Amino acid sequence: MANNAQTPLETQGKKSLTGQTTTSLYKQTLLAGLWRENPVFRLLLGMCPTLAVTAAVKPALTMGLSVIFVLLCSNIVVSLMRKLLKPHLRILMFTLTIATFVTIADLFLKAFVPRMSETLGPYVPLIIVNCIIICRAEACASKNTLVVSIIDALGMGAGFTLTLCVLAGIREILSTGAVWEVNILPAGFVPWAAMSMPVGAFITLGLLLGLVNVTTKRNAKT
Amino acid sequence: MLKAIRHFIEQSWLLIVASFFFGLLIATTNTAWSPRIEQNKTTKINNLMSGLMPKAEKFELAAELQIESSKGKKVKSNVYKGLAEGRCLGWAFNCEGPGFADKIELIVAVDENFENFAGYAVLASNETPGFGDRIKLPLYRQQFAGAPADKLELARTGDAEKIDSEIVAISGATVSSEAVIKIINNFVVQVKEQMQKKGLIGDGK
Repeated sequence: MANNAQTPLETQGKKSLTGQTTTSLYKQTLLAGLWRENPVFRLLLGMCPTLAVTAAVKPALTMGLSVIFVLLCSNIVVSLMRKLLKPHLRILMFTLTIATFVTIADLFLKAFVPRMSETLGPYVPLIIVNCIIICRAEACASKNTLVVSIIDALGMGAGFTLTLCVLAGIREILSTGAVWEVNILPAGFVPWAAMSMPVGAFITLGLLLGLVNVTTKRNAKT
Repeated sequence: MLKAIRHFIEQSWLLIVASFFFGLLIATTNTAWSPRIEQNKTTKINNLMSGLMPKAEKFELAAELQIESSKGKKVKSNVYKGLAEGRCLGWAFNCEGPGFADKIELIVAVDENFENFAGYAVLASNETPGFGDRIKLPLYRQQFAGAPADKLELARTGDAEKIDSEIVAISGATVSSEAVIKIINNFVVQVKEQMQKKGLIGDGK
């Protein structure tokens, strides 16, 4: 786990009382989820939906938005009740909170986007056990103010959604020659059926993880 | 005793209050959206039945049957009557059973005398993309339209355009193809029997 995930962010903010530091702290928190602490590429969390719903961009985006909603709501609730939490009951409280918002997200999809709900199948209810959400509740929301928790949820959620969309974009292009149902590759392209199957998800994720590791090492050297 | 109760309340009051509040939130959301969810389900079933019986103007729920699945469990099957100008054009019913990856749910349509299939449509399935999920494609489904509404058999090779009780499996997806046949065979016999007992169709004598 990265350092600022373990240290309360508000404590870091108190090092300087200038407005500049607070703004910079918020910016850092927001950007952490996109790259430095990206839940998929750096923390390797939320692997189940990452592998399961990235055969096409539309379901990947829907899953990402659902995770943002659940993450945002659970971080808000956990942050608001952080001073009332009993240490030995906190995981139970987190799970209860997350399960509530996942159920609402699932009902919303069934009511307003039924086709997408069918495409995602059991993976929406499975957000309850998505490690990203419980990790942010434990590492950030239970230790930080409401504003920091909201920014953290948005940053982590956006990082997760972007990762899913990149993975899904690559797989969809190679498995169908199109992205978002718009043809990208020339008519003669032979679709790689394997890319829409689990093997395609593992290979694409593995290659992207390798690429991210190489890039991070190069950046660290320079 | 009182001390123990007090300790319990001190420790768990937040959990109890939160459970009540969250339960209320879910109940409210469910009450608000469940009519829409039910409507979506009905619309989907109606669309699938219209695809199988394009001449039918409307579908009426004719019977709610309890069918024994291949695993011995009782499964509810709703039988709909397809009507055009007051005349029965055929019947459609939902059925389900195990597939390769997960449960497969189908809508099966037969003619008014339960003699021939009008076809089937997939209500829900999680079969392997590119392989098993081809049970949704016309290439496989068209073999059922006009086939005798009796026990069907799966053939690994053959003429897929010939309409009879022999259904040619999808190449690379034999398990999913077989699952569809088993589900239909299991349901069509029991639905026909129960409908004859209820006097909804003739007994064929």
